[in-house]
Formats: sequence, C-alpha cells, structure tokens
Amino acid sequence: MGGLSFESVVEEFYMPLYRFALSLSRNPSDAGDLTQQTFYIWARKGHQLRDSSKTKTWLFTTLYREFLAQKRRADRFTETDDETKFVEPLHVPATVVDTLDGAIVQEALHALPDSYRAPVTLFYMQQHSYREIAEILGIPIGTVMSRISRGKAELRKTLLDFAGDAARKTVPMGGVPENG
Amino acid sequence: MDSQEARAILGVYREGCGITDQRFEQALKQTEVDLELNRWWTEEQTLDRIISAKIQSTHIPAGLKERLAAVPRPEPARSFKWQRAALLAAALFIALAVFFRAARTAPAARGSLADYSDEMVSFVKVDPSLELKSSELPRLTNFLQKAGAPSSLQLPKPLQNMPPVGCRTLRFRGHDVALICFHSGDGRLLHMFVLNRSAFPEMRPGDGPRYSSQGEWTTATWVQGNEIYMVTMQGDRTQLQNHVFDT
Repeated sequence: MGGLSFESVVEEFYMPLYRFALSLSRNPSDAGDLTQQTFYIWARKGHQLRDSSKTKTWLFTTLYREFLAQKRRADRFTETDDETKFVEPLHVPATVVDTLDGAIVQEALHALPDSYRAPVTLFYMQQHSYREIAEILGIPIGTVMSRISRGKAELRKTLLDFAGDAARKTVPMGGVPENG
Repeated sequence: MDSQEARAILGVYREGCGITDQRFEQALKQTEVDLELNRWWTEEQTLDRIISAKIQSTHIPAGLKERLAAVPRPEPARSFKWQRAALLAAALFIALAVFFRAARTAPAARGSLADYSDEMVSFVKVDPSLELKSSELPRLTNFLQKAGAPSSLQLPKPLQNMPPVGCRTLRFRGHDVALICFHSGDGRLLHMFVLNRSAFPEMRPGDGPRYSSQGEWTTATWVQGNEIYMVTMQGDRTQLQNHVFDT
C-alpha cells in the first residue's frame, strides 16, 4: 500500500467516499455499507496497488463498481452520449441557492437520473480531474463532460423548483397558517 | 464562438479539471472581452462554489469512522522469502501428514470472541441496511434459512415478544451470521446476531450470558443449543438484561 496504513487511508478518504456513496445509493444506510465494503476490499487488495498516489482513484472506482454490482444496473451506464454537445446551464441566482438548506441541495442531486448523478457529484466534490472521473466511472472523458453539462442543467432546474416550493411554504409574518 | 456557445462550454469547465481543450481556452478568452459573459461567468463560479460547499457539508453518521476502522484486515504481507519458506513448510507438513496418514487438519484461521463482538457491534452502530424488513419472525427465520444462516432460534421469552424490524446475513471468518433487529419498545433498536457454535467450539451449551461494553453499547453473549447468541443495544447492562432476560 505504498506505506499508507489502513487507518490513515480510512481517515483521509472515508468522508468523500461516504458522500459519493450517498449520492449513488440515496440512502445513508446503503452508503455506509458501500463505504464499508470499499474499505473491506482495500484491506484485502489494496497492497496490490503499487502507486500510492492512485489510492484515491482506486477507492472511488472500487466503490462505484460495488454500487453497480450491487444494483446490477451496469447496462444502464454503458449507453454512449453525444460527446460534442454541451448545453447552456439554466441561470439560477447564486443568492437563491445560498438560502437553500444543504439537505435540499443534496435532495436535488439525488433526483438526477443515475447516469448524471455520479459525474455531477464528482464534479462538485472537486477532488478529481476529469481523467480520474472517466477512470472511476469507466466512460470516455467526452462522455464525462457531456454528462456533467446535462446533469448540471437538470440540477439547476430541480433547484429552482425546490426554491419555488420553499418560497411558497413560507408563511408571511402575521399570516394565518392553513387549518389553523 | 458566440456568447451562448461560450456559456455552454464554460458550464462544463472547472478549475483543476486537468483537461486541455481548445474550446475551454477560447471560451475563457472570450470572457476577457465580453463584459456580460464575464459577469455571467463570475456568478456561475460563485453558484458552483455554493453548490459544492452544500454537497460537501453532507452529514457523516456518527460512528462511521470507527465502523470502517474495524473492517477485518488480513495479516500484513510477509516478504517474498518468508512466503516461500511458509509455502515450503506447508508443503512439507502436507507431505508428512499424508505419509503418516494423520487425520489431522490445520486449524482454521479465526478471530476471538472479542473480535466477533467488536466487528458486529461496529456494523450496527450505523443503522444497517436489512435484506428483509418484516415484523413477522417466521418470515425472517424462513429467509435466513434459505440464505444458509442460522435460523432455528431458541429465544428468551422477552425477545420472542419483541417486534422484529428485519434481518440480514453477515459473515464472520467464513461463518454465516444471522442478524435480526428488534424494536426494543423505547425507541431504540436491539440487534441480535446468531452464529453456529463451530465458530467458537470452546463455548459450551449453557455458557453465558457474558457481558461486555463498547462505548455506550452493551453486549450479552450466550450459548443455546448449537448456536451462539449475541445481543447488543445502546444502554447499560441493566437495561439490556431487562430487555432480553426480564430479570
């Protein structure tokens, strides 16, 4: 493992791995299991990795493969995208998103179709180059970029919807709550 | 490249993306001359930073790190010479065993009861995902039987009356473990692990209950018939006793 102790690998990567797992599985319990299974595999096979600088990509790739294996949905991730077309993201004022709760942003992320959710999550985690994202997801770089483009556009739409819902649910000062 | 096209391309760009793409370079250059595009790009980056921060602020369950650190690990790899020596020794051992027709077999690698307890408790510190959710114990035992896990259960009376939540199977050093989770009735979950006694042959029928604790978790282990039962919950020994043995 290139001198990395098991504990230090857990310490460094368990939080981003859990977040990635949560975005894939959309369930804290399954995310915990996926993360645990990833470290279980690392404990057994991690020593085969000669280049310790690849540890992060190895862990994320393993977690993603485990997710696919468990869900048996690999076929849904092999479709090819139009790699050349990017879409202009819908404009959402930063101030609107800033007022949203983190859990709502997470919910909007979870609402994305499977094929967009993983690349968009890795995009926002800001820990990986696009080449690494392509390696983790097992898709070409062009496909990564195309999915980020479309996924971000979808995410914006959902965030706008959620922001609208949140605004509608806000009872104005002095207003009478329904069924009150 | 018009402004709309530049926006679509910049929407995919992220600092540190590690891609050299002419389209990115062109679009970034355009932000230097197109004021409106520049303003849009500045706000886009702010928005992405906010979304990124919110996604990265996801709550991490308490106890997850401890559960991961407790993942069973193999012995550290020996050097090549040691591996070869070990292989030679093993080959010699097998040859001698065959020669003397000894009916002995090498003892299987196994963990201690403390390892078992640590690993199982670590597993349930974060609510485990269950393979079957049901409040009917017969449905759960039927599922466990089909999965090859211990299923002929002899439970203390209080546990027989406790409503189950669901079950799943686990493995410990090559042995199947049945996990059944119950509602303890006070808002907490009580987890029961059942393992065949062959995993710890030194434990005898009638042994226990033995109590141990891991932080705020208390565990009781006993042998009934051919199975080793272990129950754990958040609470002290008295609370666990009351729930499981009604003493």
